Amino acid sequence: MNRNIQELIKIARELRFDVVDMVYKSKDGHPGPALSIGDLVTALYFSEMNIDSKNPKKPGRDRFILSKGHACPIIYAALAKLNYFSNDLLPTLRTCDSILQGHPCMKKTVGIDMTSGSLGNGVAIGTGMEIARQRDNGSWYTYVITGDGELNEGVIWEGALAAVRNKCENLIVFIDFNNNQSGGHTDQISGINPIADKWRAFRWHVQEIDGHDYEQIFAAIDAAKKEKGKPSVIVCKTIKGKGVSYMEDNNAWHKGVPTTEQWEIAKKELLGGNM
Amino acid sequence: MSYKGTREAFAAALMELCEKDKKYQIISADSVKAARIVELVEKYPECYVEVGIAEQCAVDVAAGLATVGKVPFVATYCGFITMRACEQVRTFVAYPGLNVKFVGFNAGMLGGEREGVTHQFYEDIGILRSIPDITIVCPSDDTQTYQATKAIANVNGPCYMRIGNNREPRVFTEDVPEFELGKIRILNDYGNDVAIFTYGFLTDRAIKAAEILKKIGIGVTLVEVHTIRPLDVMGISVVLRKCGKAITYEDHNINGALGSAVSEIIAEGCPAKLIRIGLNEFPGSGTPDDLMKRYNMDTDDIVKAARALCEKK
Repeated sequence: MNRNIQELIKIARELRFDVVDMVYKSKDGHPGPALSIGDLVTALYFSEMNIDSKNPKKPGRDRFILSKGHACPIIYAALAKLNYFSNDLLPTLRTCDSILQGHPCMKKTVGIDMTSGSLGNGVAIGTGMEIARQRDNGSWYTYVITGDGELNEGVIWEGALAAVRNKCENLIVFIDFNNNQSGGHTDQISGINPIADKWRAFRWHVQEIDGHDYEQIFAAIDAAKKEKGKPSVIVCKTIKGKGVSYMEDNNAWHKGVPTTEQWEIAKKELLGGNM
Repeated sequence: MSYKGTREAFAAALMELCEKDKKYQIISADSVKAARIVELVEKYPECYVEVGIAEQCAVDVAAGLATVGKVPFVATYCGFITMRACEQVRTFVAYPGLNVKFVGFNAGMLGGEREGVTHQFYEDIGILRSIPDITIVCPSDDTQTYQATKAIANVNGPCYMRIGNNREPRVFTEDVPEFELGKIRILNDYGNDVAIFTYGFLTDRAIKAAEILKKIGIGVTLVEVHTIRPLDVMGISVVLRKCGKAITYEDHNINGALGSAVSEIIAEGCPAKLIRIGLNEFPGSGTPDDLMKRYNMDTDDIVKAARALCEKK
């Protein structure tokens, strides 16, 4: 387990650039939501999760579901860096016959544990995975990342009830709380806040952290793993578009393609600047 | 073996599956009583997952279980699977090709009978036929439901079985014919005047109609199409070519299910005259006999349709 935070920060910058680069080259995708979860994905894929690109279907591996499937470019970047497939495939994002579909597809992309993209389903699917683990007496974890806007979906709360009912203690859900959804700020669109209180009412183990702070991310995962008999949710305060100045907290980049000039700015900010 | 009805037959088959292998899981959306699996849940709690009245969640949970190698059966009312949780069925089970089984109760107008429209489901097959890769089976009675449950358990992929309210008439009273997934079954071959294609819990009425027609000189080939996907196109084509006139008779909307499937075969190279008997409106509550009469789906209506096709007044 690599908890060298400086190293992880460097990896996250590279992954973020890969996101901008693949959207720029394939001319389609959702960069803002992908950048928002860059640090969570880095912490999970490059430190926390027990996974192996040489044995991607290893039965006892940890599972991951990107419930907010549109943020998949960051997962594709992570999988490529971990050698699940070649980096050369990244620019094929969203093109015909690519293994890198517009939203994650477990049948086409090695390393993807669950198809996703239609919002709201990750918690319930993760509950199913965790129940399977219990029945097999496994010791692995199921990690889910959902959006905050995504919490509008009713099936999220169906899953929240079922996970508690079934004592899903190895289910850890991260909420990417960037306060933005497709149409604008979550406060304006859906009134989902306060988020943590709702999960407390559903009797989950609830933590609130800065989703870009690795020490807080790891401390929260450690605490979640210690909690027995109930599932854990970690509400992660994040910035949509994190790491690229003109994308940060700018919902215009929920979906969008950078110009060549914007691509150069992103490259400089992510790879060329100070750590 | 015989059972009180299709739900009990399903429960009996599932009990045997769970006894053999704990990979089989039953996902309940507060549907344990309705599925007649109270005893199964008591005996094999490690095969039971409860999610409450939350069908979308039930399908998602089943998908999650299937990714780890379990074989979940989601059992609740047809419409709550195919309509309320339609997207979960399509996107998280059919698209990734996960090995999840769906068992829908209260199929058709007869399935819901006195409950009325909210609990009668005659759109399920049409909905699922438009989604690739789901095996669709429609047994006609309890004994066949038992066999069909075992058959879909052997398919490595998503399957849907539509069953009833546990009060279905027995169709196969003596030697129970083998349930061969994906194959039509000729129930009667009284002649080549008209073919009747049917399935489900009005198969007994079709059998009666074939007998009546025989007596008035119209020879019927009566075909049970218990598997809607994979459809036995070859078998149906042979019968269509032989008879040249056909009736589809089903407890489903006439659009989308067997009536449509046979129309497609006819249109794509197997010309025949066709009358589709089924629903084309929202019915309502009633006893099975009253409903069948009221909505022109009774034995007499088949006879009338066959006479019209054969131009016999």
